[in-house]
Amino acid sequence: MSHEAAITVRNLKKNYTTYLRKGLFKREKKIVEALKGISFEVYRGEVFGLLGPNGAGKTTTVKILSTLLLPDSGEAKILGFDVVKEAAKVRKVIGVSLTVEKGFFWKLTGRENLTYFGMLYGIDGEPLKRRVEEVLDMVGLKNLGVADKLYEEYSLGMKARLSIARALITNPEVLILDEPTLGLDPPSARTLRELLVKIAHEERKTVLVTTHNMFEAEIVCDRIAIINEGRIIALDIVEKLKESVADNISLEIFALLPANISVKTVISAIQNKTGLLSDAFAENGGFRIKVVIPPKESDEATSKILRLLHEYKCSVRRVEVKEPTLEDVFIQLTGRKGF
Amino acid sequence: MGLKTLLKSGVILDLYLYKNNRGAFISMLLWPYLMLSLMLGMGILFGSPEAFRENIGLQVDPIIYFVASTLITMASLDVMWGVGGNVLFHRWIGTLPYILLSPNKTSLTLVFTYIPRYLLTAFIQIAEFAPLILIIEGPIQGLYKIGILIIAVTVGMLPLLGFSALFASLLLTIKEETNVLSWLNPIILLFSGAFYPAYLLPHWARLISQLLPSTYTIELARTAALIGAPKLANITFLIGILMGIALVYNMLAYLVVDIGEKKAMKAGAI
Repeated sequence: MSHEAAITVRNLKKNYTTYLRKGLFKREKKIVEALKGISFEVYRGEVFGLLGPNGAGKTTTVKILSTLLLPDSGEAKILGFDVVKEAAKVRKVIGVSLTVEKGFFWKLTGRENLTYFGMLYGIDGEPLKRRVEEVLDMVGLKNLGVADKLYEEYSLGMKARLSIARALITNPEVLILDEPTLGLDPPSARTLRELLVKIAHEERKTVLVTTHNMFEAEIVCDRIAIINEGRIIALDIVEKLKESVADNISLEIFALLPANISVKTVISAIQNKTGLLSDAFAENGGFRIKVVIPPKESDEATSKILRLLHEYKCSVRRVEVKEPTLEDVFIQLTGRKGF
Repeated sequence: MGLKTLLKSGVILDLYLYKNNRGAFISMLLWPYLMLSLMLGMGILFGSPEAFRENIGLQVDPIIYFVASTLITMASLDVMWGVGGNVLFHRWIGTLPYILLSPNKTSLTLVFTYIPRYLLTAFIQIAEFAPLILIIEGPIQGLYKIGILIIAVTVGMLPLLGFSALFASLLLTIKEETNVLSWLNPIILLFSGAFYPAYLLPHWARLISQLLPSTYTIELARTAALIGAPKLANITFLIGILMGIALVYNMLAYLVVDIGEKKAMKAGAI
């Protein structure tokens, strides 16, 4: 991987105007700041992750880079072409996947859909036939024996593969993928992640992928930018990002909650009592509560939290101290309790 | 990228759609006769061929009159839905961003990928009515009228393409999710004289009617249907008007769709 930039984004800003209906004839104008001046570079041949919660500005960034949305100010270039002034040139060097659950003709097979879009993007004849076979093979739809099945009969995993295949149909240098594993079951998501890594490394593509899945970002991406509320708050390789919170301790408590107590109540109570941010995930009928604690406060905070859980009549089954993960980085940087 | 490939992509899309969806193909074949039967049935129920001729003021066969009306009305609706409504269709199925990512101008993509479907549908429908016209009018007169109908649906389509692309631009800009076209189309057809001759409309409505390309397409088909042997000068005049309007509307569409697309891209409507 070289350090030559394939994608350059400089101080990109974008506001949306929305209208809130107030009664039958009145409406109130509201400006939503989607991007507040983001800047980053994606190097040639790397898988670059844009990680952030819903509404952070990931899709806005992807749409601007895909030439489907005009920024208010700032600059974005792909392989040296400006996404606003040279949109047609940009379109020739990018492959885009925006959603995995739709975007194809339901009454066409996977192969037919790819043939149509290939033609729409300017490929024809023998080169198109060859490329359709190549990409079907690459994404594994041929092996699954579903290339000639109607799109309406596809599972979500197959649709996601077809979406990647379309992004690859013109053999572009840069792939822009917006949440390619969103909604997929774990085995399909895993297969797709492997596919992304394979495409990036074997086909030597530059890939910009957005996700809100930290595990995915960690295993797929060479570098990650964490985006929150329209700002990039961290950008580095995963190891470096983790190092930034290495001093902290990640405490994981698995507990069963009484029926009359909600997990939200417990999380708020932890924050009120300790001032620490925590997050909770449902697991095996109970909850895995995760708290990032500064080392100096670890003993005191741990006992405070356990006492609090006892007060709420939660049955604590397991307590673990873990190495910081990307999730911890996110919690520390954003102050948000997960997505 | 060549427009030939764009046209070809339209051809293969339609072939695939009809191949995989035979129900749609059969209903496309049945639709003109169903519409004709409905109009004739209503006419026979509430009137008679004699009463029809009396109202029109010409010795004309109502079947031929309604065949021409049906063909032109359906062709006009088809263009408006096919180009204008295409934006909605693509938005609903989620293909719109990928269509816009084509390296061609959006107006060209919308129009050129649609032309093959229009021609295929229009010619199939003319072919369906051809035996009926030949039986009623006889071989020479029948062939002459079929010829004029072919000219009407092909030349008449040209201004409608630009006109409908303007609608596409509107739908693109306002991020319209509802079916504006479903209530707008009948109004356009009404002003164009599809149901009542345009000269029977009030003055203000006639002014609107003169701006609509469908008015001249319908007029051309009527000329063929109503007059036994329309003069070549009449037909040439109408074709000339259609070509002129086609030029204006298509040039306008070429510019306006671009502006609409930019506006939609600014507002995040795509």
